[in-house]
Amino acid sequence: MVTTIDAKAPATAARAAAIVAEYLRGPIEALDETAVLLGEELAASPHIGALSSQRLDTLVEPHALRLLGLTDAHIYGAGFIAAIELLTDERNHLSWWQGEDARKLLLAAQSVNKALIDYSELEWFRVPMETGRGHVAGPYVDYLCSDEYTITVAAPVHIAGRFVGVAGLDLLIDSVERQLLPKLAELGDKVTLVNSVGRVVISTDPRHATGDAVRGGSLADLPRTACEGVALEIIAE
Amino acid sequence: MHPPDSTDASQRSAAVDSDAARFRDAARPGRLQGALFQSIGDAGRAELVERRLASAITGGHLRAGERLPSENDLARTFGVAPTTVRESLLALRTQGLVVTRRGRNGGSFVADSADPVAHARTALAATSRLALRDMGAHYAAITAACVRLAARRAVASEVQLIRARLIRLEPTDLAQWRSALDDVQVELVSLSQSARLTREQMRLQAEISPLLRLIDAVEDSRVLERQLLLAVVDAVESGDAQAAVDATERMVDSVIDALIELQISGR
Repeated sequence: MVTTIDAKAPATAARAAAIVAEYLRGPIEALDETAVLLGEELAASPHIGALSSQRLDTLVEPHALRLLGLTDAHIYGAGFIAAIELLTDERNHLSWWQGEDARKLLLAAQSVNKALIDYSELEWFRVPMETGRGHVAGPYVDYLCSDEYTITVAAPVHIAGRFVGVAGLDLLIDSVERQLLPKLAELGDKVTLVNSVGRVVISTDPRHATGDAVRGGSLADLPRTACEGVALEIIAE
Repeated sequence: MHPPDSTDASQRSAAVDSDAARFRDAARPGRLQGALFQSIGDAGRAELVERRLASAITGGHLRAGERLPSENDLARTFGVAPTTVRESLLALRTQGLVVTRRGRNGGSFVADSADPVAHARTALAATSRLALRDMGAHYAAITAACVRLAARRAVASEVQLIRARLIRLEPTDLAQWRSALDDVQVELVSLSQSARLTREQMRLQAEISPLLRLIDAVEDSRVLERQLLLAVVDAVESGDAQAAVDATERMVDSVIDALIELQISGR
């Protein structure tokens, strides 16, 4: 047993990990449920053989709005991203609602052509597609939807075992910081939340900036405590 | 206003001058304040929407034949009244950039005749060399700031995904080339983890990218640009911020040089 580590740290890390897991449990469970419902509704749709983006939007909208109405964690955006060959009229379609007024996301014409961006290589789409399981992606700069620094909770949608797209919801790191940081700060010790590649999500220690990598820094060699149900970890100092 | 300078009075006069300067500085609004209160122009909202859509079409970001979102959706997105959108669509029809079809599958579409390359050629001919260099300086500054941060923050596996995409690109596929390169470039700068810098870079990218389609016509320049971008990717992966900045500046210098050569040759 290494005795140089403060004996309080493991207990603090466990409590912090529980706080993070609890914060994300609501959105993750709601999204998993939505992904199942979407799969069932899509399978039951008489148009499934020739689905247009408009019909898909009609089907997805009530689910997206319900997710946006969740209150325990502030949800910025929600919706469904169809697999590339699902729709008859568009190659890349984002059925997505976001913002305080829950507006439908259109192509943002002022920036590069988002319709041409191949999202099948983006983490929030790729991981659920490849693993068949839900995933918490980021934090990353979401230049497709929110245009902000974002965490995306994503879950694959299947029809009879066939992957047809990804249901997702966005949490802005700005909101995560406002909602989660005070709770972590109450623990008293310095606590840093990092993702699976060692990127700082938030930290009660102002020296660790969101977005920074822990490699090469003072946190690099400290033990990490997993948060249940998500690929996020706590480092307590 | 100032008394004529003389040897005996020079010291006293200098003190008075600096007091006066201090007073002037306090009374004068700061430079930033001046920028804040610049004219916002008297263009109507319909004209602003029209300009936004026109630049998306002439820039090739909305392609010939592509359906525009519905008037109501556009109105919500731009935060204007549907009648304002209708007015701007009317103007775009008059310019020949948009056609409207009636009926069940009706709506507004980008006109088949809308040709981004022709627009880019006209735009390049009408742009001064000074403006091109300045655009390059702005683009290089923002992109360099992004890759500097990315070199510090990115994880090797993220950069390797980007490199794999860049290598997979076929320089013979002219149609997809520029948008694929834009895509890779945006993905790379987003590794900065800065939303503000990424947004700014994308805005500049959208501005410069239509012009860059003109230099894409030559396969050698496509190969060269990929090589230069790969050097940036390599530097980011190895975590070498200064090398990433240098490689970015080489890349931007190269494409701006190519644009200026193209302008001179008038092709």
